[in-house]
Amino acid sequence: MQRLNYFRLTCIFLAQFVTVLLVLAIGSLLIVPEFKDVWQNLWSEEMQYSLKLSMVTGLISTGIVMVFALPIGYALSRFEFFGKGFTKTIIDLPVAFPELVLGLCLLLLFGNAFVKTLLESIGLNFVFTKQGVVAAQVFTSLPYASRIMKSTFDYINPRLEFVSRSLGYSMLETFIRVSLPLAKNGILASTVISFARCIGTFGTVLILAGGSYMKTEVLPVTLYLNISYGNMGMALTSGIVLMAVSFIAIYIFEKAEVSL
Amino acid sequence: MSLLEVIGLSTHLGEFCLKDVSFSLDQGDYLTIIGPTGAGKTILLESIIGFWTPEKGKIILQDRDIFHDPPEKRRIGIVYQDYALMPHFTVLKNIAYGLGKQKIQNSAKKIKALARSLHIDHLLHRKPHTLSGGEQQRVALARALAAKPRLLLMDEPFSALDPQTRQEARRLLKKAVQDTSMTVIHITHNMNDAWMLANKTAIMKSGRLVQFGGLMDVLSRPRSKFIAGFVGVNLLKAHIKPGLNGTSIARVLDTELTCQESTDFPHSGVIAVRPENIGISKSQPVLVKDWNVLEATLISIIDNGNLFRLALQFEKFKMDAVVTRHNVAFFSLKKEDRVYAIIHQDHIGICESQDSQPLENASCQADHQAHLCA
Repeated sequence: MQRLNYFRLTCIFLAQFVTVLLVLAIGSLLIVPEFKDVWQNLWSEEMQYSLKLSMVTGLISTGIVMVFALPIGYALSRFEFFGKGFTKTIIDLPVAFPELVLGLCLLLLFGNAFVKTLLESIGLNFVFTKQGVVAAQVFTSLPYASRIMKSTFDYINPRLEFVSRSLGYSMLETFIRVSLPLAKNGILASTVISFARCIGTFGTVLILAGGSYMKTEVLPVTLYLNISYGNMGMALTSGIVLMAVSFIAIYIFEKAEVSL
Repeated sequence: MSLLEVIGLSTHLGEFCLKDVSFSLDQGDYLTIIGPTGAGKTILLESIIGFWTPEKGKIILQDRDIFHDPPEKRRIGIVYQDYALMPHFTVLKNIAYGLGKQKIQNSAKKIKALARSLHIDHLLHRKPHTLSGGEQQRVALARALAAKPRLLLMDEPFSALDPQTRQEARRLLKKAVQDTSMTVIHITHNMNDAWMLANKTAIMKSGRLVQFGGLMDVLSRPRSKFIAGFVGVNLLKAHIKPGLNGTSIARVLDTELTCQESTDFPHSGVIAVRPENIGISKSQPVLVKDWNVLEATLISIIDNGNLFRLALQFEKFKMDAVVTRHNVAFFSLKKEDRVYAIIHQDHIGICESQDSQPLENASCQADHQAHLCA
């Protein structure tokens, strides 16, 4: 039997105390509404629109995020280059940035006349549009994805890549044949976490895309708008959907055994 | 013409510097690189293979400077201490991985033949993590050999093996290398690897190659106290003068030793005697031509397992000798015994000093007696 140790007991107590608080908070979301109402709200026109827009933008954003996160994570893990520290800090910055401030920064950038005209010339407009929802989601979740990818590549023995190159494979061939297959758990975790972040992004979307009813309305915006109108049923339903996405994401993340 | 010439290679990696390393190897040479941890041995190998870009120098392989070639163009194989087997491949796929870029006829047959020669043909469909250390080591070797590299680099490939497996691995490696006339550079901390496999040896310290040469030359004639300590040699300060019939006389304080090596003029220098080249007898041996016989007191006996290290106090200096358990038992050797040390003239090397810690400082006892540096 282990001897009584107050430090050990305190640590365990604090961990369990916070767990109980979180379970209570999350549980209350499920206790308050009636299942019948949730089901009805789920099939309402607004919820269907919001759900569809969230899924579509979430999937597109996750795809874009992963296209960037893989090479960014690999570069930060494997290569030494000028300004590496600065690059890492700036890419990680949105993790610590308030979403509203990030949204404001993006609004100022993409709302700038010159940038706006330039983007419009290639068919892009991020200000108060659905494209803006994607841009907001991408900028919010990219730091998380690139951090996961960096730590994934950090865990892969670089000597495997060295050996592959000594056997005649180029850097790109080695990346495809060795690094990517070995990073599959990290890629899965990164994709799932990115998707959950994209679906759940609120502040950045609100500022850049506008959060307009049935136009740029994604699930967090539905929650916000309905709370504002006093429509708790719809707000709770979107909350439950967001929570379900988060649960699935965390479950897959834990299974993939990759830590941030 | 040399197969490999490394000329003035300098690599800067973080706070570590590989400084001005130069050496050359002929086809079929087996070089062991010995040195303390952090001496830059692995960085030297990885600079030769192209994983790090050196700041300056030349790497000439088969008459062509490969300094600017990427690793995939150099055809240099490497076997690491941790074997670096692809965990997502089977043994067969790991070995075949090196052949993937080469168009080789009957590649499956060749892989199987290679696997058979290294006794891993029964493991071909297993994943690396299910193999023992010795098996993984042989798979890594098979993978490197399958690609038919022009030069094979090995970074402490036996360090994780038990003594018995290590011995078997050495035997298999020696056969594989001899069969293919492969040129090898092998980093090791184990002198037995050098004894059994190498014909050349290099010693590294703080990013520099402090001695390079034939195996026996380096192990018998270290250029510094540091190297002597590393390769385990007795160093004695001596006054050396020409002897009869092309020999030299090394005078160590009041004791004279005859060396087979010749010297043209008297000078102060250092002689080196390997501990295993000192024979021990309790009775005075009949004087035989070419042998030096010295009387000594046995001041300590250290049991190193199958060998014993004896510390011998001569008239005014000390040396270590290594003898077998049988020797100790046969002569009933014990502390304070008077014994005779027998050293062949061929086994006394006259050393030259070239590195930053010159041999003149090797005998550093306060009373200026020559002493054991090993």
